[in-house]
Amino acid sequence: MNVPPLTPVPVLQGEPSPGRGSIPTPALVGGLFSRRQIRSITDGFTRLVIKTGGISIILCILGMCVFLVKEVIPLFLPPQATPVESITLSPLERPATPALAGIDEHQELAYVLRGDLLDFVFLAEETSAISRIPQQGLLPGGSVTALARAFGKGHSLAMGTDDGRVIPVAIDFVQDFQGDERSITPSVTVGTPILAAPSPQAISRLAYQSTDSEVRYAALLRDQHLWLNTVRTVSRPDGTVSASTAQVDLTPDISGRVTAVALASRAELLAVGTEEGQVYHFDLRDETKPVLTETTQSSERGQAITALAYLMGDRSLVVGDAAGQVVVWMPVREHAATNVTHMTPIHRLASHQNAVTDITISQRDKGFITTDSTGEIRLHHSTSEQTLLTLTPQQGAFRNTYFSPKADGLVSVTEHDRLIRYHIANPYPEITLATLFFPVMYEGYERPELVWQSSSGSDDFEAKFSLTPLIFGTIKGTVYAVLLAVPLAVLAAIYTSMFMHPDYRAKIKPTIEIMAALPTVVLGFLAGLWFAPVLERNFPAMTGMVLVTPFAIALSAGLFLVLPASLRHRIRPGVEALLMMPVIIAVVWGCLETNAWWDALLFDGHYKSWLEKTLGLNYDQRNAIVVGVAMGFAIIPIIYSISEEALTNVPKNLIAGSLALGATRWQTLLYLVLISASPGIFSALMIGIGRAVGETMIVLMATGNTPIMDWSLFNGFRTLSANIAVEIPEAPHGGTLYRTLFLAGLLLFVATFLLNTIAELIRQRLREKYSQF
Amino acid sequence: MKEWLRQFMASGELFIWGCGAGLSLSLFMIAGLMVLILINGMGYFWPADLVELTLKDGKHVIGQLAGEDVSPKGIPRIRMKIGNRDLYGLDYRWINADQIVERATPADLVMVERREWGNFYGRLKAILKEDQVVTEGAEDVWKALSPLLSDTEATEGLNPYSVLLVEANGKEKVLAFDQVLRVLRPNDLSTLEKVWVYMGNIWTVLTTEPREANTEGGIFPAIFGTVMMVMIMSFIVTPSGVIGALYLREYARQGVIVRTVRIAVNNLAGVPSIVFGVFGLGFFVYGVGGTIDALWFSEKLPTPTFGTGGILWASLTLALLTVPVVIVATEEGLAAVPREYREGSIGLGATKWETIWKVVLPTALPGILTGLILAMARAAGEVAPLMLTGVVKLAPAMPIDGTWPFIHLDRKFMHLGFHIYDVGFQSPNVEAAKPMVFVTTLVLIAVVVTLNLTGIVLRNRMRRKYAGSTV
Repeated sequence: MNVPPLTPVPVLQGEPSPGRGSIPTPALVGGLFSRRQIRSITDGFTRLVIKTGGISIILCILGMCVFLVKEVIPLFLPPQATPVESITLSPLERPATPALAGIDEHQELAYVLRGDLLDFVFLAEETSAISRIPQQGLLPGGSVTALARAFGKGHSLAMGTDDGRVIPVAIDFVQDFQGDERSITPSVTVGTPILAAPSPQAISRLAYQSTDSEVRYAALLRDQHLWLNTVRTVSRPDGTVSASTAQVDLTPDISGRVTAVALASRAELLAVGTEEGQVYHFDLRDETKPVLTETTQSSERGQAITALAYLMGDRSLVVGDAAGQVVVWMPVREHAATNVTHMTPIHRLASHQNAVTDITISQRDKGFITTDSTGEIRLHHSTSEQTLLTLTPQQGAFRNTYFSPKADGLVSVTEHDRLIRYHIANPYPEITLATLFFPVMYEGYERPELVWQSSSGSDDFEAKFSLTPLIFGTIKGTVYAVLLAVPLAVLAAIYTSMFMHPDYRAKIKPTIEIMAALPTVVLGFLAGLWFAPVLERNFPAMTGMVLVTPFAIALSAGLFLVLPASLRHRIRPGVEALLMMPVIIAVVWGCLETNAWWDALLFDGHYKSWLEKTLGLNYDQRNAIVVGVAMGFAIIPIIYSISEEALTNVPKNLIAGSLALGATRWQTLLYLVLISASPGIFSALMIGIGRAVGETMIVLMATGNTPIMDWSLFNGFRTLSANIAVEIPEAPHGGTLYRTLFLAGLLLFVATFLLNTIAELIRQRLREKYSQF
Repeated sequence: MKEWLRQFMASGELFIWGCGAGLSLSLFMIAGLMVLILINGMGYFWPADLVELTLKDGKHVIGQLAGEDVSPKGIPRIRMKIGNRDLYGLDYRWINADQIVERATPADLVMVERREWGNFYGRLKAILKEDQVVTEGAEDVWKALSPLLSDTEATEGLNPYSVLLVEANGKEKVLAFDQVLRVLRPNDLSTLEKVWVYMGNIWTVLTTEPREANTEGGIFPAIFGTVMMVMIMSFIVTPSGVIGALYLREYARQGVIVRTVRIAVNNLAGVPSIVFGVFGLGFFVYGVGGTIDALWFSEKLPTPTFGTGGILWASLTLALLTVPVVIVATEEGLAAVPREYREGSIGLGATKWETIWKVVLPTALPGILTGLILAMARAAGEVAPLMLTGVVKLAPAMPIDGTWPFIHLDRKFMHLGFHIYDVGFQSPNVEAAKPMVFVTTLVLIAVVVTLNLTGIVLRNRMRRKYAGSTV
């Protein structure tokens, strides 16, 4: 048999190396490589494979964190606006003509209404075609002195003329599919003119809304009279259509020159701003009797109100004034017991340097765009109270600006008759660190609050993404679980490592390890469906158990000590735990049997009403106690194993020394073992907390999952983890909810990673310390 | 006395007993939980006697006893499973003991298992063939029934027969044969026969598909899904875990970086499973799956093929979740290989790879196996990440079947753990579903505990084997 060389250093040639001529050359395999070569090639190859494989696997695992961060970051990126087009329109003869701009939801076809001239601009990548429909203008006679747009679905506009007429104009975009090609054709419907006031005069300002059955507008005439008009059409079953008109002069309620008028999208609210900075709020639900609900001084320095707009949802009113201030006002209830509300300034947004000329709202969220007299554009979001973008296109002032239907672009028509368009990438306007973690003033609330509510039935609902209640729930669940688990687990660990008879120790550890392997879904199911009802029925007895157990322990210890010595010595040392077993069973059984007695003794016979009367607490069936017990159960094994390890590893010679010097078992434990093992027990606690923080199934199944913030033992909560499990299946990919849930996941990741790292470092140091002995 | 008390406190005996009580309490909780699941899970299969109660108001109740307790007013009462959900609307009923006049177990009571509405408890009256009475009288019907029923199974077509049943108070119910699964007379069965039925029931649950929103029937698809998912995961996790550990222990230069990486990998085992689920959804399902769809299944879009949850993504997610377990256990195994073995191998001229392949890995095999088994146990019990990556309450098709390409990794699947959550918390009739949940729990725990015990035994054996060697 050939003896291979002793060194694993690869020998690349099959020829005998100099000086070793006596060693026979290994036979060539296949005539190409020697066996030795193949072996060394294999060795090098596997080294390469394992190195690259190992590194990539480890990178893969660690890459998780990077991926989570990558998914979360877009939430906090500032929005982007890119100018796309700037198109010159045909010049007009009269410079001060009112104008409106608009665009379809795909941003393919824009329109500009200047006076009565309606231009459609087909936006193509290279050249944009402009066509005027109809060529001679929309009006056969008279000239347009005011324009207004109805916010909401579709594009309905209105023109006010110098002879006091209001003419509705509806623009539709008809989509046509030919194969995969989509083409859009505009259609224009001009409605019948309506007289704005009994005595015709030129209209200087107009606010307009139309719904399926009615048209409502407020027209300010040249004589400073503000007329509210409602035209209601009723279609009868027999096919006839009748129209009723209500006309009311609002001027007697208003003092001062009117400078801005706005109608809410359902046309039930009207806001009128004056030169003195006052805003008059009208309730229009009865069209014949508009009610002035409130007058507010909306501009501090008595500046004229120059622009008004209701945000989506018809609750918040954006007020812009001549000094450039932009403030969002909301109706806020005086206190919880009333329905009386007062308009209150809630969100102050970044001011313009000059007078605000126009406010256009988003049809998607609580965002809006303001423009000022020098042609600066700002994009704001009301709830998150942030000004997202400031654009200065340097094109002169704007006649009108429009926020595209999907809130992803804007078009403006300038005073120099140019149409400019921006693409806006602003997917997450409602998310800031402040809205995620601090109280936010939402519409309809009395004060800033922390709310998680991601969806609701109604259309104009605003999702509320505060992570604080969920973090609170996570902490609450963890605290209650730890309160139960730590004493039990640490006591059990102390007992097993210090006092227990070694014969039993070998059997106890695997049992506890099995407990660690129990799927948490099982614990959650038992907690929710078995323990919760049992606890509800036997709450007084359970309270009794907690009270009785310490006495039972003391009693058994005392009894054992007063046993005659002859009897006592027959029992092996280290079996206290076994002797306690029947005592515990007796306590549990005894308390359950005397449930009614405990109820009478502690809670006047009915614990639920007692809790409500004395402590003001409601008892929910699935409450924090249930979760505490189930989650405590889940983390007992891990805390037990790690503390047991720490306690067992305390060097035996130290313990022997202490006992030999005359200390009792208890003193040795208290003054030596516990102190040296305390870092280990602390790290056990950290790891236990880490487990409890991320536990999902137990909290999902054993609480009501209501995101409330309340330390009460008797109600439920919602944790970050359960929230992810509940909400992410419904969250659209890449949306705000989706990314917020990723953020929740990232928080969990970071928290547990930190806890575990601290624990691991402590354990390593402890091991090093012990190794000195 | 005072002196004695002082001594008693000072000796610390009290606290030692307190520690003992802590351990007892923990053990008591585990034992209680196991007993609870065992009793409830196993009890479900037992064909318990049907009891007929005659009440004070002259009414009769037929059902199976399902517990006793004392009502809030202090009257002892019993809980009956009364079945006949289509007639009564509820499955269980409490009856106060003082209302019961007579309690009997007549032999002619039947329990009919059917496809809908849960069990029927009552008596047989007649067999009908297209509305014509063919056989009448409880005994005759009972005798004629089983051959006709087995006929149904053979023909599998429309069965013209139906059976006329009577509930406790004489209300009649006609049941077509194709609705009937089995008719039993539990009171007529001997203990041995009951054991036979009991075994049969266990077999049925383990091998058949669920019925009635998962609350009846079997859990075979869930068992199959769990096993298959764990197997796919093992295929992925074993090589990657072993390669990772080999790199860390054998090839990487031991230093601060490797130590940090080791701690990080260790800690990943403690990162909540839901976070892995979130990652799996974002990376595997939407990221990788979405890309695969865009590249190869674009003709089916917008219906996703791989861009939605499926067994492959669930397995990959769980592999990621459990790979730290395998790495840690394998490293432990590699570290436990005595130094002399390596030195001997190298000394005899083997290359590094040969040493690893022929000496180190075989010696460390128990460690690797332990890691793998613990990983499998953890994977079998995890539910939260699966809920995001492809588990469903009712999978229309198995991940393996007879249509090309036989193994469908893109399909959604059922899982025992999710079955527990779904049946126990999402089904419309939780009370009726509870026994099924207990059975599922029992099966899941059996799987997980068996896997864990194997792992623990293997590890202890390995530790003992190398306890003497210098590590």
